[in-house]
Amino acid sequence: MALSKVGVVSTAQTELRPAWSNAQHIDLISSVVTSVFKGTGLTIDDVDFIIDSGSDVLDGRSISNCGFLGALGAHHKEEARVEEDGLWGALYGVNKIRSGASSIGLIVAYSKPSESNVDLYWNAQVEPFYQRPVGFGQRAASGIQAQRYLAAHGIAVEDLAALVADRWAAAAANGTIAVDDVPGADAVLASGEAAAPLSHLMLARPVDGAVAVLIAREDIARRTSRNPAFITGMGTAMDTHSVAERDGLRLSSAANAAAMAYRGAGWTSADADLAEVSASSVVGELLAIEALGLAEQGRGLAGARDGKLVINRSGGALPADPIMATGLVRLAEASRQLSQPELYGGGNPRRAIVHGAGGVGMQNNCVFTLEV
Amino acid sequence: MGRHVGIVGVGQTHHSRRRTDVSQAGLVREAVDRALADARLSMDDIDTIVVASGPVLFAAVNQPEKWVVDAIGAQGKSVVRVTSGGGAGFAGALAGYYQVAGGFSDRTLVVAYDKLSEGQLQYSISTLYDPFWGREFAVGIMGFSAAYWRARMDVLGHTEEAAAMVAAKNRNNAIDNPYAHQKKPVTVEDVLNSKPLCWPIKLLDVPPISDGAAAIVLASEKVAHHSTGRPAWIRGIAYCCEADNAAERSLMLSEPLALASRQVYRAAGITNPRRQFDVVEVQEPYSCFELNYYESLGLCPPGQAADLIASGATQRDGDIPVNPSGGCMGANPIGAVGVIRLIEAATQVMGRNETHQIKDASLALVQSGGGWANLRGCAVLSA
Repeated sequence: MALSKVGVVSTAQTELRPAWSNAQHIDLISSVVTSVFKGTGLTIDDVDFIIDSGSDVLDGRSISNCGFLGALGAHHKEEARVEEDGLWGALYGVNKIRSGASSIGLIVAYSKPSESNVDLYWNAQVEPFYQRPVGFGQRAASGIQAQRYLAAHGIAVEDLAALVADRWAAAAANGTIAVDDVPGADAVLASGEAAAPLSHLMLARPVDGAVAVLIAREDIARRTSRNPAFITGMGTAMDTHSVAERDGLRLSSAANAAAMAYRGAGWTSADADLAEVSASSVVGELLAIEALGLAEQGRGLAGARDGKLVINRSGGALPADPIMATGLVRLAEASRQLSQPELYGGGNPRRAIVHGAGGVGMQNNCVFTLEV
Repeated sequence: MGRHVGIVGVGQTHHSRRRTDVSQAGLVREAVDRALADARLSMDDIDTIVVASGPVLFAAVNQPEKWVVDAIGAQGKSVVRVTSGGGAGFAGALAGYYQVAGGFSDRTLVVAYDKLSEGQLQYSISTLYDPFWGREFAVGIMGFSAAYWRARMDVLGHTEEAAAMVAAKNRNNAIDNPYAHQKKPVTVEDVLNSKPLCWPIKLLDVPPISDGAAAIVLASEKVAHHSTGRPAWIRGIAYCCEADNAAERSLMLSEPLALASRQVYRAAGITNPRRQFDVVEVQEPYSCFELNYYESLGLCPPGQAADLIASGATQRDGDIPVNPSGGCMGANPIGAVGVIRLIEAATQVMGRNETHQIKDASLALVQSGGGWANLRGCAVLSA
């Protein structure tokens, strides 16, 4: 029995900025939940279910989804919270539609890390008896990953700075990311040590924001969207929790997730036109690019900047990481680039790879393939 | 339509007030080992895993699935966490159900747990309320539930005595449940005379606070037979919500539960729940809620729950036994409860409940929920 095909009908996103200090969570959420229907002819009444991603810890509130149900448009519908980066929420939604039980779903992800201590958010994730007391967390993991990566491949930290500067320039051009000054490579290196050898700007910048993605069964997507992108492959895998036990030079769970997604799609990284990749640091982005098969191991830097396909035209996660929404932002960006190439310098892109990540040192990874 | 999904293996811990001998991860491992053994599988046979637990503040580990993954040997697999307060376990099972029904996996392990001895429960729940205007006067969930019950006493006759009958029934049923830890014979008078905590809620209307985990293996029709000749098929499952501040919110009937049951009954072909179901398992965080469920699930007409419990029909030997396992009154590891209720109902229709098998049970109803009584779901299981 054939499973339904699922397409992206539309997307909506608030500006991603360091602090939305004049807006509450519900303001950010309702803003995207309202605007995602524009131009589709659909309303919230047509939506069968809502899946959301947010964090009780960042929100400072238990079962915080419960307080946001009205803003989410979830009243009298099925709602579920998948606590990761939004892309896993989309995976849930796709399964629901593929099963035939639902036709239209709304995926929403949001974060307001400006109201929280992000280092503690990561520190609270690590194993509580031996790792938490010594202050292990995202920074330490990113620093260790970077040291090993640079040493193994003979790359200097200066080489990383140019890629970071590129990403910030792309973010400034993106129009949905607040960027005051675009840092050059020198400014990236001079931004102060964050996790040796990485400087502050080499780590993903936490930002506030919300994103919504409306997905639907194939026939509905075709009727309500001009050139919808279809989700043709999905894969996820979680690595061991122990950073020390992981293969330090390879994000094996991202590679497994990608293999699973490519199997579903029937094509591989070589056939893709563009990719939107998540990262917790610049080295994290290189490791993800390599794991997705977009560059040989150790050659991520070349792949990131001058590969044959466009990676992170949006700027990626380095200039804008709305922690619980970063993966869903990648999906929204990639589907817009496929559906409306005229807004992104033209061309005729047909296939995209979308990557999401969660956990300290990118322990959990998720990959989607999109096609128009 | 999607693929049929069955429960082919179940496992739960022996719940207790305080498990000092294991960590959260160790607790989860116990339930997973039991479920895999029950399904005659090893972790290698599992495609995907859903972890569900209560709010992070309950046990103070953020995104605990990332730690738990090593303890259950699931490194390299698809692992995701679903959370939804009190109904987290049920919400996790629903996510797992769609992974199989939607073709993402053939076998999904759903494990749900809470280790409530490691956190401040009512404090954690108090942070549920709006930080600006709700938290000042929020005292856990008990104040809310008492108001909820009080509103229904006059209108529907859900009296203190009717709720006490629920508490006594479930507490007495829990006595021979090997996994329960609150096992003391209780009379209706004992409940009525117990210490008021937040009137009309009294001590014996409230379940214990527990440490515990529960796991189920879900399988597609294609592979279910490797584990058992008699899976518990999921004929319908839904979990609906009600926006907390909807002005028209009714405290009489649970709108989300009525919605969910309508959806599920349609899928499962249920037209007369009272006559068709052989057994029912519900998540009753306070005794008064079970009365509400009777009406919202259509086991009796609106306003007649007190008569239903008084008639004895929901006792173990009645025509529609509700919580023959003892429900939450025997053990209440909150995030795990949705899966525990599914396990109790599944073993009934599989014909292998260890101690309180309802004779010839082949169709079971499961209810679960959380939040401010605004997240509610149900499922129908059949042999």
